[in-house]
Amino acid sequence: MINDDDRPQTSGDRGVAAPPSLECRDVARSFGGLKALKDISLVLESGSIFGLVGPNGSGKTTLVNAITGFYPPQQGRILYRGRDITGTRPHRVAPLGIARTFQNLALFRGMSVLDNILIGRHIHMRSSALATLFYWWWAERDEIRQRRRVEEVIDFLQLEDVRDEPIDVVPLGLQKRVELARALAAEPQLLILDEPMAGMNQEEKEYMARFILDTRDEHGTTVLLIEHHMDVVASICDRMAVLSYGELIAEGEPGTVLADERVVAAYLGKARRRAA
Amino acid sequence: MFYRLAGIRHTRYAADRQLWPVPVDRAQIAALTAFAAAAPLLLSNLYLGSYLLPWIIWSTAALGLNLLMGWAGQIHLGYAAVMAIGAYSTIHIVRAGLPFELAIIGGGLLSAVIGLVFGFAALRVKGLYLAISTLAMQYLVDWIVSHVQAISGGSQATLQAPAFRVLGLPVAGDMMRYYVALAVCLVVTSFLLNVGRTSFGRALAAVREKDFAAAIVGVDPFYFKLLAFWCSSFVGGIAGAVLAFCYYRAVTPEQFNLDVSIQAVAMVIVGGLGSVIGSYLGAALVLLAPIMLNNLVAALARAGALPMSEEVLSHIPLILYGGLIVGFLLFEPLGLAKVYDNLRNYFLVWPFRHARR
Repeated sequence: MINDDDRPQTSGDRGVAAPPSLECRDVARSFGGLKALKDISLVLESGSIFGLVGPNGSGKTTLVNAITGFYPPQQGRILYRGRDITGTRPHRVAPLGIARTFQNLALFRGMSVLDNILIGRHIHMRSSALATLFYWWWAERDEIRQRRRVEEVIDFLQLEDVRDEPIDVVPLGLQKRVELARALAAEPQLLILDEPMAGMNQEEKEYMARFILDTRDEHGTTVLLIEHHMDVVASICDRMAVLSYGELIAEGEPGTVLADERVVAAYLGKARRRAA
Repeated sequence: MFYRLAGIRHTRYAADRQLWPVPVDRAQIAALTAFAAAAPLLLSNLYLGSYLLPWIIWSTAALGLNLLMGWAGQIHLGYAAVMAIGAYSTIHIVRAGLPFELAIIGGGLLSAVIGLVFGFAALRVKGLYLAISTLAMQYLVDWIVSHVQAISGGSQATLQAPAFRVLGLPVAGDMMRYYVALAVCLVVTSFLLNVGRTSFGRALAAVREKDFAAAIVGVDPFYFKLLAFWCSSFVGGIAGAVLAFCYYRAVTPEQFNLDVSIQAVAMVIVGGLGSVIGSYLGAALVLLAPIMLNNLVAALARAGALPMSEEVLSHIPLILYGGLIVGFLLFEPLGLAKVYDNLRNYFLVWPFRHARR
């Protein structure tokens, strides 16, 4: 484990030569009259963990959906490693090296844990009907090679026990971990986690935080983390941003951002002032 | 009991991935294959030609439909139309003088292309709406086949399947026709078995379960839906051609009407969605149940247990048959495959009730 002092340097070294991993420029998106995102501009340095917080309905998931192509922004541009990916369809986002998890779990029921993770390797595989017909000649070797990579992810996330279980019978905390495994199996350079710790107890949260840190440290993955648990965000993120009603109200180091008056107001309302 | 998992520890991924990891399963499959190969010597011509032959042909067709319904999750109520296209075009190509091997591929390709056109409907609509648009395909193809002289020779006409050769051997007699059907069935079966363990099959299942989650891992839902329609129609076309050449030996439009489509859907649902063995069991039940129910009702009537008119008696098997399908949907929606699976799981740990977990 890299200690805290090394962390800014990791991102700093990469930042000099490489363009930022992700850059949002004045991204706006509305649904009818509702302005879900208002001119959001963000920069995620390569190899950093970036926290995105905000009250419910503040546009965090909408921003992620804009990046991954589900709801392309109506204004502004999204650059991934210097390349414009605005409006790229979701299935074309994955091959670029972007993987994400979903707030309400989007695992494939009726498949085993192993198959759920294996499908994360889809972009590295040739999926053709002919290869399936001529399995023994055209597909077997590749399937086994991919299986080996997946076993590394299973080992990393400690999912050996449930490997062969159907996904439906696996407890929620582990399902979240399986979804992370599916995302990691794609070997992404940018990992977007939408509330990976929702509904978890303290121990599971700590496990998940450790996995996120290890992923970044071992593979240099950039992480965009949406999370409500402020303790986690404050302790593992290099930088963070706060959204409120679709607006970016604060951005910077966790320590400064969390002390910002507007952030406190967005979360707790004005009650604090009345009490004071 | 026999299916002991204890002591079976795979140390290589290849061994873990094999189709039947349990040795006794492999022995069963070997025995079944040997029986299928030796069937012409073991069975009388009646059983071979009237029971086993249609069963394997319909299993082939059910497997093709199961790829679409069970794996990709798209309903298709016009599968008989797909089979009709394969049957008619293969006959016409053979008549034009091409060898049967090429003709059947051509028939499959034509079915696949036309099936694909209707697959485009699946990109726009889902569920009930897709059912209706595939139903439209059934009626459209029915109408075209029976009204275009060049295809069917007229609405009342029967088109004889010409004599044909496979690999240089003339196919004549029940035994040769059975072997041709068996060969096609085995190829399709091995394809479907492999779908269960390749990225192609996983992508189809992903599209079936959650298409947005499929997209985020890089699976293009549109492409894989179309691919499923293409493959399923190809298999359907080939099954239709085999049915025409090896079983009916002639085609008429009525052989591929809506009833037949419904029958194919029933095979897949009763057998078990997304299951290879289910397709076999479903085809067996749908083909054999009416025959057995007929015999049963006739026997009871002869014994005087059913004092009814002939009119009523002839409808009883149909009623029972319908009840059987409703019963399956109510009590075992995963079909006969699940029944088999439960039985197998029971014997996996017998005489105990539970496995280690």
